[in-house]
Amino acid sequence: MPDAVQSNPGTSKPFVAPPKPFAPEDEAALREALKRCSPSAFESAVQYRKTGNPEHVPAVVIGVIERFVEPDLRIKLKDADDDLRLIEDLGIDSLTMMEIVILVEDVLQLSINNDELRNLRTVGDVKTFIDCKIRGLSLPKPTKFLPIEQIAAVMPIQPPFLFLNEASVSSSGANGKYKITGQEFFLQGHFKNNPVMPASIMLEALGQLAVLFLLEGATPEPGKVISSSLIYFTGCEGVRAHRVCRPGDILTLSIKPKRMKMPLATFEGAIRVGQEKAAIAEEITLTFGYAEAVMPLPMTELKDHVAPKAGVLDASVPATPLRVAVNA
Amino acid sequence: MPRVFITGLGFITSIGNDATSVTQSLRELRHGVELYAPFQSPEIPVKVAAPVRGFSTDSTDPEDWTFPAGITIKREVLRGMSPHVVYAWCAMQQAIADAKLNDADVSNEGTGLYAASGGSPYLMGHMLERMHKLGVMRCSPLGIVASISGAVQFNLVAHFKIKGSSCGFASACASSSHALGFAYDDLALGRQKRMFVVGAEDGNMDAILPFAGMRALSLSADPATASRPFDTARDGFVGTGGGVVLVMETEDEVLRRGVMPYCEVAGWGQASDGHNVAISHPEGLGLRAAMTLALRATGTAAEAVDYVNAHATSTPIGDASEARALKAIFNPAGVRPAISSTKALTGHGLSLAGAMESGFCALAVRDGFMPGSAHITNLDPECEGLNIIRSTLSAQPKVALNNVSGFGGANVSIVFKQAR
Repeated sequence: MPDAVQSNPGTSKPFVAPPKPFAPEDEAALREALKRCSPSAFESAVQYRKTGNPEHVPAVVIGVIERFVEPDLRIKLKDADDDLRLIEDLGIDSLTMMEIVILVEDVLQLSINNDELRNLRTVGDVKTFIDCKIRGLSLPKPTKFLPIEQIAAVMPIQPPFLFLNEASVSSSGANGKYKITGQEFFLQGHFKNNPVMPASIMLEALGQLAVLFLLEGATPEPGKVISSSLIYFTGCEGVRAHRVCRPGDILTLSIKPKRMKMPLATFEGAIRVGQEKAAIAEEITLTFGYAEAVMPLPMTELKDHVAPKAGVLDASVPATPLRVAVNA
Repeated sequence: MPRVFITGLGFITSIGNDATSVTQSLRELRHGVELYAPFQSPEIPVKVAAPVRGFSTDSTDPEDWTFPAGITIKREVLRGMSPHVVYAWCAMQQAIADAKLNDADVSNEGTGLYAASGGSPYLMGHMLERMHKLGVMRCSPLGIVASISGAVQFNLVAHFKIKGSSCGFASACASSSHALGFAYDDLALGRQKRMFVVGAEDGNMDAILPFAGMRALSLSADPATASRPFDTARDGFVGTGGGVVLVMETEDEVLRRGVMPYCEVAGWGQASDGHNVAISHPEGLGLRAAMTLALRATGTAAEAVDYVNAHATSTPIGDASEARALKAIFNPAGVRPAISSTKALTGHGLSLAGAMESGFCALAVRDGFMPGSAHITNLDPECEGLNIIRSTLSAQPKVALNNVSGFGGANVSIVFKQAR
């Protein structure tokens, strides 16, 4: 993922390892701070504080989030994928998010600015964010959530051949959902009296998600914009279907970029229905090209390295759900 | 002007956590004072307090707190609370049930909430310590909401979805009587049809011990006599906490809902000493003026008053001032209404006092008793000419008066009458 992490000077300082060795009183303080978290969160925090090894961080972060989630919702965190949403799925409000941040700051000995919190919408966002902080890396682009209207607005592919109902796109990949309604025109003949989603269409849906990633998530060369009219399929490898999918099934699609070098972008993709594996593609490769008009490079853009796109896309950036409304 | 009635009560107090046990304690003069564990170290000269029972709120972390059986508070609700807010929250639930209010009765633009508390010095202190030690961004996000003096109404208004008037009152020990008085005004002026009046205090070490510096606390180590208003040997007040909620409604609402009120709130009066920041006027001039105004506002002759629940906190100066004010009101009329200070039983609830003792007056008027002024061995000669009742009388007061006085010389007197 060479492009996943952008240089973004100014918003993140390299993390400096704890200056003094981890003392018994630190362990006691850590135990007190994490007393309502799982033992594994505490153990991971101790290991992290002793070794500075970032591999221990995700367990701490998940443990802290779990502690602030209402008990009946905690089950969702058990097999959580990174798309689990903090507000919608876990009921975490902006004040609770502050509590999570303060505890994470405390146990991991780092500091987080309010501005940095605004774009954290999923468990994956939080993990990535903390990981970047600790490794001293700059932060990735925030995850964008696109409902069908916004997907249709940016995609060169349109209904009735668009197989995405909603999608989230980050710099590290894209996830999407498609519900097989039974009204798809091709199901009338595939098969006779036996509607089954064609595997070729499932591969198409993954390809469409990859197109969406190129348009919304990928970071092209500075000053360049990928043209939606220059993206085409070139090939795929290792495609396997594992499960027959029928009307009523909700396909959960995900793609991750493996290689990206103009004019080729290669992805791996997978489709699940619930927890069941439905199909995988080891490689899907698309070609792409840049739009002819080279975008000017204003100062703000140099600073942020976020290429502005068409106006309609601005609306796709979520409002700032994690800002605390203070009526004081 | 619409008449105003008390239709519901809720109590978390040192003498009982519901109206039934409070009534029993008042009738039988059972006090709530104990040797308070947090005071039992040699460097603390104060030994007694009157804590509420059944709650454990010693930790600075609300998730460590424990409550009497049957009370559970979700974390997201609890995180904005301090101990007194929890007490008020419990009293609010009792009061709503007692007044037989449904959700729609509680949440509408005609129903408001006025409250009083001194905030939570305990949680405020914890938060400031944390801020100085760990930095400003490590304070609990809701630390302010939980600890400043508006904490009680912030929480109750939000959680009970109050839509009408809401605010807090800060006149120290007169606060919740001011809340009650202005709630009465809003009802009498037709601005609201129902008001909740809330008084609450943490009543823990950080709420009580700062009064030791001004030598206002009793140093007695005998819980049975430490709080003894009007006794010659009184040596200061005994601190208490808790939460009390009164439901006040207009006559129209009482009739519409078909409920039986405790009593009528006939009206109130207030006046200030203009004398000293912390010491009451030696002749009780402000309190005397407040009583005069209350009686005049309600068209009540001094002769009509059957019972006075005195502010008397068991401090040498304060009780004497009040005795002089009472003599100035009742002696010229040649009457001797029954007078008692229930603080002998409860201790002094500070911002809670006015609401708590107004609640006691409502119980007394409805249930037909006048609680005695406990723990008097030698009556202060200053009380000569006053009928300080040493034991509970089983007679219904038709008119009861409740007095409070707060720092800065703020005085409030409220008139309660039998509901007819």
